[in-house]
Amino acid sequence: MINCRNCVQALNPYLDRELSDDDIVEVRQHLEACGGCLHLYSFQESLRRLVRGRCLEQSAPESLRTRITVTFEMERLRFKQRRPRPPRGVQPN
Amino acid sequence: MCAALVRLKAVNATPAVRPTTPDTGEAAANRARFEEEALKHLDALYRTALRMTRNPSDAEDLVQDALVRAYRFYDRFEQGTNFRAWLFKILTNTYINSYRRKQGRPQESSLEDTEEFFLYNQLSGNSGERVTDVEDTVLDTLGADSIQRAIDQLPPQFRTTVQLSDVEGLSYAEIAEATGVAKGTVMSRLFRGRRQLQRALWDQAQAAGFTSGSKVHGDASSDKGRPKTNGVVARAGGAQ
Repeated sequence: MINCRNCVQALNPYLDRELSDDDIVEVRQHLEACGGCLHLYSFQESLRRLVRGRCLEQSAPESLRTRITVTFEMERLRFKQRRPRPPRGVQPN
Repeated sequence: MCAALVRLKAVNATPAVRPTTPDTGEAAANRARFEEEALKHLDALYRTALRMTRNPSDAEDLVQDALVRAYRFYDRFEQGTNFRAWLFKILTNTYINSYRRKQGRPQESSLEDTEEFFLYNQLSGNSGERVTDVEDTVLDTLGADSIQRAIDQLPPQFRTTVQLSDVEGLSYAEIAEATGVAKGTVMSRLFRGRRQLQRALWDQAQAAGFTSGSKVHGDASSDKGRPKTNGVVARAGGAQ
């Protein structure tokens, strides 16, 4: 089984879900057996949750959503106009 | 925008003179798919743009510019690969090309470097008791604004990397693609950025007048008989 030092080093990658399956098992086994590491893990996990939760409260302003929708409409027209080219000499009124 | 709207009206007014192809077929389906998928990521793009520019108006412009570029380059997007990472990559490139120069040199961060588990050590402190949840600490009093301000204290490359990982939940590989660096660089930026973020969060808590390192412990010791963590929260709530 991994020691505390290895476990502590693996905590952030573990929280990032970036460990291999084998390493995940190692970390879990250590956390089940070691109160000190489990405390640290719980704290770090709750810190991530706090930062993420508060920041996700922010969403794009409705005005931006509208603006992007209009932008997409204009881009669609731009694509449509690209081909075929209007006959030469014909100008919109 | 106004000129564009005028043009848009002009186009609508003259369908017979300027023929357009009907918007059907594969290309149109692709564009519809792009629009639908891109809008799903609008909040995440805006939040990230806001951390990059630290200014709501610039953030909106940046997202708009990035999405126009993405729209026009969508035929170069390899279907089946990661659309989210691709969008964030365009956001990053648009920021670097158009906005970073405008903003001048990034201000040097004054954050002290800290240990990896600074907050845990700070909050567990001298008392034997270990804190296992930030909800039981002064940090829980920090609102979204304070936490975003803390992230904004980080140097730019750390800021974006931490935002993409800790808030938007991108994987190391996705962040590597989005920010154009190797995966190892992402990992080292996260490692250092998160250390600095803990210091910045601590500074925010102190700036809000809720606590200082010594006060926490002073309060805790004067609250003998009560669980330490609850004592901290009670103090924090009452301090204002």
